[in-house]
Amino acid sequence: MAATFFGEVVKAPCRAGSEDEEEEDEGRRETSEDREVRQQLARKREVRLLRRQTKTSLEVSLLEKYPCSKFIIAIGNNAVAFLSSFVMNSGVWEEVGCAKLWNEWCRTTDTIHLSSTEAFCVFYHLKSNPSVFGSCPRKNMQITILTCRHVTDYKTSESTGSLPSPFLKALKTQNFKDPVCCPLLEQPNIVHDLPAAVLSYCQVWKIPAILYLCYTDVMKLDLITVEAFKPILSTRSLKGLVKNIPQSTEILKKLMTTNEIQSNIYT
Amino acid sequence: MASRYDRAITVFSPDGHLFQVEYAQEAVKKGSTAVGIRGANIVVLGVEKKSVAKLQDERTVRKICALDDHVCMAFAALTIFIGLAADARVVINRARVECQSHKLTVEDPVTVEYITRFIATLKQKYTQSNGRRPFGISALIVGFDDDGIPRLYQTDPSGTYHAWKANAIGRSAKTVREFLEKNYTEDAIASDNEAIKLAIKALLEVVQSGGKNIELAVIRRHQALEMFSAKEVELHITEIEKEKEKAEKKKSKKSV
Repeated sequence: MAATFFGEVVKAPCRAGSEDEEEEDEGRRETSEDREVRQQLARKREVRLLRRQTKTSLEVSLLEKYPCSKFIIAIGNNAVAFLSSFVMNSGVWEEVGCAKLWNEWCRTTDTIHLSSTEAFCVFYHLKSNPSVFGSCPRKNMQITILTCRHVTDYKTSESTGSLPSPFLKALKTQNFKDPVCCPLLEQPNIVHDLPAAVLSYCQVWKIPAILYLCYTDVMKLDLITVEAFKPILSTRSLKGLVKNIPQSTEILKKLMTTNEIQSNIYT
Repeated sequence: MASRYDRAITVFSPDGHLFQVEYAQEAVKKGSTAVGIRGANIVVLGVEKKSVAKLQDERTVRKICALDDHVCMAFAALTIFIGLAADARVVINRARVECQSHKLTVEDPVTVEYITRFIATLKQKYTQSNGRRPFGISALIVGFDDDGIPRLYQTDPSGTYHAWKANAIGRSAKTVREFLEKNYTEDAIASDNEAIKLAIKALLEVVQSGGKNIELAVIRRHQALEMFSAKEVELHITEIEKEKEKAEKKKSKKSV
């Protein structure tokens, strides 16, 4: 451990190995109590897929029950607002299930009685055109991921003030052959968290997938950020799913007003 | 690299950044959008008013503040600070005291440029002190001097200030500034009404719920400053919407 000039305590790197080596042997002997606690934690952390109406768990994997040709996932409040106002208001979407999960960072401690509003992910399928969650096997599936990130995470040699935020960047897997409506994400930028996991999975299993990443300077629900996703409406991934654009804009505006929270810190 | 040089305000990074000041500029982007326009005979300040909580007294949530108002109305200055609200309150108080102190010492009201320079110098001091963080606020200061010329200045957390013909600060300021660059013409600011409409149109680019969420104030030459009520703002908005419809009808006629 070393203290820097500003008082931070930093662990100094040591190539001779960890200092705690002697204590490790003692710690390795785990009691049956430890094992039980660990099992309980593992059970709590299981991801459970539940059917909507009955709230019983889906025994069969969701994709097998509702095989689909187009899978669209939106991560983050702006991406979800875009999807729910532009895509989901055209046509009737039926909720087929939801996923509930828990880990140590969640604020609720009780996993069994989580209400449906606290589901982390809800799955919908298009009633009028079941092929969207359709009858083709996994081979022909195409995945679209939408998410947002703060513009300060975007590494570039220009200053962040001159960037035209919000702006859209894309990252696709090798098997994705369709034209992309925005520039690709340049190095050294990387994708984080769930979108990265989905994209890696798709690359490994050779599923064509594309991630649309919107860099914005307003992370909460914001009209301009959601509208930055609009170029995607013309791509093949979402074509045919969007019919009524002016109505969508109205729905979006309503979503904004219901979600407005006055923060007193920032004027 | 940023994480090793951004803890203290008094430390430059190897590539010359003062990260705390740049982070303070991010704090400004969390505030509402404000726009300032300098017309030929008028200065306009408009700001997005976020919705007030149910139990909150709306009267106490005012964003546009007067810095000084000279008795014979030859000088008046309005300001709006965007960013951390508490920092704004502290700086406004210091500025108001300075205006009065100047008047008592020199028997002349401050000029808009003087008070802007005072605020900017104050902000700069806090970027060079150990143990204090910069103010997380940007300001738009408008007013008329004794010579009757309208002025608009903008300051930012680093302590720089510049004069502008029209500018915007806060959330989505870039979008508003681009709109202003396209639409600020000599015709657009020729009359007072047109300047007011330009300010409202610029705000409507980013304000999500229309007229009741816009606070507007103007100063006309040799007149007292005027805060618009919600009704007056609505009147202007209906005028703008009518003009839009007319322009759209003309377009569709032409294309037919």
